[in-house]
Amino acid sequence: MSTTNSTSLEETARRAVSLARQHGANEASATAGRMRELEVQWRDGRVEKVSEATTRGLSLQLYVDGRYSAVSTSDLRPEALERFISDSIAMTRVLTPDEHRRLPEPELYAGRAAMDLMIEDPRQAQFTAEERQRFARELEEGARSADTKGAILSVTTGFGDLSREVYRVSSNGFEGSTRATQFAASAEVSVQDPDGRRPEEGDSGFARFFEDLPEATALGRRAGERALGRIGSVKGASAVLPMAVDHKSAGRLVSMLLASMTGASIQQKRSFLDGKLGQKVGSSLLSFSDEPHVKKGLGSRLFDGEGIAARPLSLFEEGVLRTYFIDTYYGRKLQSRPTTSGPSNLAWKLGTKDRAGLLADMGEGILVTSFLGGNSSALTGDFSLGVQGFRVRGGQLAEPISEMNISGNQLDFWNRLVALGNDPYRYSTSRTPTLVFEGVQFAGT
Amino acid sequence: MTRQDLVGGGTDEALLGGAEPQRTGTRGPEEGVGYFTRFGVTETLIRETLAAALSRGGDYSDLFFQHRVSTSMSLEDGAVNRAFTTVELGVGVRVVKGDQTGYAYTEEFSLEAMRSAARTAAAIADGPSRAGPQHFHVFKDLPRRYVLQTGWDAVRPQQKLPILEGLNAAAFKADPRVAKVGLSFSDEHGAVLIADSNGRIVEDVQPMTSLYLSCVAEQNGKREQNAYGVAGRAGLDFYSTDRLERIVREAVARTTILFDSVQPPAGEMPVVLAAGSSGILLHEAIGHGMEADFNRKGTSIYADKLNKPIAHPFVNIVDDGTNEYARGAINVDDEGNVPGKTMLVENGVLTTYLHDSISAKHYKVKPTGNGRRESYRHVPLPRMRSTYMLPGPHTPEEIIASVKKGIYCSNFTNGQVNIGAGDFTFYVKNGYLIEDGKLTRPIKDVNIIGNGPKVLEKVDMVANDLVIDEGGWTCGKDGQGVPVSQGIPTVRVASITVGGRNA
Repeated sequence: MSTTNSTSLEETARRAVSLARQHGANEASATAGRMRELEVQWRDGRVEKVSEATTRGLSLQLYVDGRYSAVSTSDLRPEALERFISDSIAMTRVLTPDEHRRLPEPELYAGRAAMDLMIEDPRQAQFTAEERQRFARELEEGARSADTKGAILSVTTGFGDLSREVYRVSSNGFEGSTRATQFAASAEVSVQDPDGRRPEEGDSGFARFFEDLPEATALGRRAGERALGRIGSVKGASAVLPMAVDHKSAGRLVSMLLASMTGASIQQKRSFLDGKLGQKVGSSLLSFSDEPHVKKGLGSRLFDGEGIAARPLSLFEEGVLRTYFIDTYYGRKLQSRPTTSGPSNLAWKLGTKDRAGLLADMGEGILVTSFLGGNSSALTGDFSLGVQGFRVRGGQLAEPISEMNISGNQLDFWNRLVALGNDPYRYSTSRTPTLVFEGVQFAGT
Repeated sequence: MTRQDLVGGGTDEALLGGAEPQRTGTRGPEEGVGYFTRFGVTETLIRETLAAALSRGGDYSDLFFQHRVSTSMSLEDGAVNRAFTTVELGVGVRVVKGDQTGYAYTEEFSLEAMRSAARTAAAIADGPSRAGPQHFHVFKDLPRRYVLQTGWDAVRPQQKLPILEGLNAAAFKADPRVAKVGLSFSDEHGAVLIADSNGRIVEDVQPMTSLYLSCVAEQNGKREQNAYGVAGRAGLDFYSTDRLERIVREAVARTTILFDSVQPPAGEMPVVLAAGSSGILLHEAIGHGMEADFNRKGTSIYADKLNKPIAHPFVNIVDDGTNEYARGAINVDDEGNVPGKTMLVENGVLTTYLHDSISAKHYKVKPTGNGRRESYRHVPLPRMRSTYMLPGPHTPEEIIASVKKGIYCSNFTNGQVNIGAGDFTFYVKNGYLIEDGKLTRPIKDVNIIGNGPKVLEKVDMVANDLVIDEGGWTCGKDGQGVPVSQGIPTVRVASITVGGRNA
């Protein structure tokens, strides 16, 4: 197993940049990384799989006579590395020059926040195999405690943690490093439906610090309840209905929106949001921003993938599109100042009610608890997604529904947002609250 | 975890499956290792590592060495102005005790690093040390399903550029509405070596290539985008004039037809699936559910359906590793077993699960050669290869003519399934309405959702026009992606839910 430490990551990155320049690159960036991951998977009372590894790698962006390539390798033997870099530069030389391809302007490196993001839990290094197993076992116990009718067929749980360390160097003056940890816990429960189906559902938690994970038996119990709630699900009738999407699943909808906000999709004319900057494209309740400096945030960072200093960015304000995610390359192509290459953590303007309160207000409709497949056209905004969840009647959860779809167009859909919850989902980077839409097309029987 | 994504029987020949170590005499330390000698891998290194892996009494251990160099070049705004290379070199050590697995991997091929990984994996067991193999049986008569005249390591980047530039020009020439063209050309050169505690060593060189053309068209101020891709375990000669012309023709036609396309009505209706990439239906509706790990755990909707009729007698479905040069072809799976053609459904009856070595041992059958993994960083799992339905008794014309009101689906982007509930989806990018037995208005962007066993029962017509799709499909399971193929003849599903609009 690799014993690479912090110093040698820095050395590896510096050496790679210097080798790239020796072999003919005008400019170069190098990121050396190391990750240690440990995981236990547990099923029905015993360990199923234990895995543990330390992985390492180096990635390089090469700028050679106006030409560009990006390469990476896990083969860090010194003689192999030098040959890899010289071969990569030779490959780059046959490409067409591209005047837009340059390192970021060094002034964008400046202004990096001097703060502790609190994304490295010192406890991770001391975590033991026994502690992982105990957590996984308690997840199962929690799930089974929800089962009063003996309907559970199988419970698979998992607990994993990792530490990651990267060091990045760019030849025009950038240097930066990141050290972070992450803990993940999950429980997946299969239950017997009397009609022969064996529906599965689960729950999971992710956190930078162990102490921020949900408590094991509570998380397991929620997973069990979610699975048991699937028993007897039916396909509802096709109809136009109000839709609530629970906070855990709402990130799926937001990802469709974010996919159309990249510089590449704008410059390549592949976005339904092209030309919409400063315009209202959603309901006045749609307000969220990108917040890279959230303490303990799963997406928190001091600089982005190019080294540009991270700053908060307003994305939507009362339904008005405020910015795109523009990196250095597409910024030059679009003659627009780079913002950042992609989202970190989202922060939402929240509502005042929890899910139960929102459902009570909704009265009639469908609560979506998970999506199944589906896709959307980033260019036209047309989308169609499989859904399951519960029918809501009189503001209360009624029968579980499955095997249904929703379809629409995003330019219309985001205007139908009528309420947000006060419950941002903390185990994700999109941190979505429960979202409620009116007039959504459901397909069923 | 049991939610599987696709983005984009009788003849099983498990030649090596579960075989006792064949002691064919002592070999020199270098004889068993071919490709990987360049990285300093020797039989001695393998023997020492396996000994450490069995030091806690595991039943079985294997080592999975991998070297893979993936390169891609992209064209945007008329220029091939970016290239990407990834080199992966590493070894995974697996130790199995009963149905429990210990796993570790390292990127260093030193004895110290490999022993350390092996001891980590060994800890799944807790007993006295077992002896590892002292001699190795080298399996050299693998099938040759993707032999290349010239490997990708010997192809110069200059040879790929004219292909991309030619496609770009041809796409703009094909239709004046084409506004943007994006191209991505990828190839892989590499090899795997599997060595196990039964004393078996197998090496396979595994090439791959794919080409993807995406285009944006403009008409009266409106834009649409679509794409076409091809993939195979093939070399540069894969890109014949015919295939290159087809890439342009399909990408442009699939894009420009979107200007006239609408989302279809919502609700249950008959659906006709065109021959070819509609094989995504099989991948989601039955393929994943037949992977033996889910059945061993009792979590698949097919767990109690083996040897029972589940479809019309003219429905025959296979998972096949033998299609030469196909993206889903393999000479050997990632546990060292040689794949054949596995019957999933024969004359409408569910016949065989897809096995890796752990599930095969559980069911006391020979492995089917479905033990696959994304890379040395991952454990093998039962996975599909090339999944398709055999031709049936109907013709495509009579199938379309039989539908009064429904839809015809021709192109797909992705699908997903819940293994236990059986619900699955696939996303239709292009198709047509069927009205009074005829294809009428083009349709687009609609998700279809059904339940696997229910939908298979409703496959009530199967045509004689099987096509195995040439697209670059990747199957996702437990966070691991592996290349697969799929195919199907034209079929009719009597009723399924179409996620359209304006019910």
